[in-house]
Amino acid sequence: MKRVVKNLIASTLVMMIAVVLFAFVAPQDQKAGAAWAVPAKYKSMKNTAKKTAELEKVGKLLYTKHCKSCHGGTGLGDGPKAASMKTKINSFKDAKFQAQSDGEIYYESFVGRDEMPNFEKKVLEEDERWAIVDYTRTLK
Amino acid sequence: MKKYIVFIILLSFISTYSFAQDAATDSTGVKEKDKPVRSPFESGYLIDAQTTVIPNVKTLEAVIQHKFGTVGNGHSDLYGIYAAGANIRLGLNYVIIKNFQIGAGITKANMTTDLNAKWTIFQQTRRGTMPLSIALYGNVGIDGRNISAFGSGMVNRDYNDLPVTFKPSDRYSYFSELIIGRKFCDMFSMQAAVSFSHYNAVPVGYDHEKVAVHLNGRIKVSPQGSIIFNYDRPLEIKQISEQFSFVHSSLQNLSFGYEISTSTHAFQIYMGTTKSLLPQETVMTNQNDFTKNGLSNFSIGFNITRLWGF
Repeated sequence: MKRVVKNLIASTLVMMIAVVLFAFVAPQDQKAGAAWAVPAKYKSMKNTAKKTAELEKVGKLLYTKHCKSCHGGTGLGDGPKAASMKTKINSFKDAKFQAQSDGEIYYESFVGRDEMPNFEKKVLEEDERWAIVDYTRTLK
Repeated sequence: MKKYIVFIILLSFISTYSFAQDAATDSTGVKEKDKPVRSPFESGYLIDAQTTVIPNVKTLEAVIQHKFGTVGNGHSDLYGIYAAGANIRLGLNYVIIKNFQIGAGITKANMTTDLNAKWTIFQQTRRGTMPLSIALYGNVGIDGRNISAFGSGMVNRDYNDLPVTFKPSDRYSYFSELIIGRKFCDMFSMQAAVSFSHYNAVPVGYDHEKVAVHLNGRIKVSPQGSIIFNYDRPLEIKQISEQFSFVHSSLQNLSFGYEISTSTHAFQIYMGTTKSLLPQETVMTNQNDFTKNGLSNFSIGFNITRLWGF
């Protein structure tokens, strides 16, 4: 009889703890990123990359190395690391993204903010940076 | 014969590549500087070897090198993964000025602490002004075992086999290497190197010095993946040997594997014959022969590197 009571108490306790834990489950939605405040200098920045087959290849290669893990292979924002971000990663296929100037994409890609890291020390050369910008244009 | 092999390897890098002009003129008539080739290798490490690659200035690189036991026992020790005698090295490198890095690491085998430096003297350039990358690498290893581990079998014993006074310098070993590399195309890069190793104290019958040649490279099979290989051959040079015959010759080492690289990481998984992680140990002590017993003398290993820019 004593054992039955003990088991009953233990089961009730476990159930209560489970209920408490469930009460704290909140939806883990990612927040949408605020609008970018791109400095005027970057907005009007001119894309200086020469449109060569070599640079096209470099753009794809560097995108794969530096961007793909978050932005995904086709730019949908569905890379393996995307799910662990607090901010939702927008698709490069969005008309809103593609409507930006090259300079705006450059600023967002290499200067960055918050969860979008700065890549200026990882991609050192201007033509390589523009090659990545050009590659994101092809992902529309 | 061996000197011919070295000569042919080095010649194969240099031949057919002429030294082009140092600056080309673009369509607007502006002279453009010839820039270094992009990523001849993805990391400063290629299995157990060094590459001519040094990360950007003010970059800290952390490296974990892990090598399991030999696969010879099969599934009984999960192909060496659960075998005793795994070797591990933890290291940190920092690029203090462009193309020059310093580093330190500690290896489980003999609790060896190593201090190292690498200098890429020349970088191969895109238009061939400089057709090769040339780097110097050197380290000093400090055997960190208890003093009692020294003595038995060491050359610093007298004729009555009594130990002479142990000197702290007996712990030191040195490795210096000249690396010559070339990225032949986006897919294929290769390096040849010659090294000189020295141990202050060695067991009876061993030489204090050893010269070795090295050959390694990568074949890129996808934007992030490459097949990698490394070969080390210690040379038996009578002129620098202290022995009448090479009884305790170290054996050649062969490794091959696959590398995956991302923005800040390089991950290499491989199989190789040497159980050492420090190059001077491989050159001086490797006794696993890849020409015998199939893959039994190979060990599985992996490297992970992580970069932080400051």
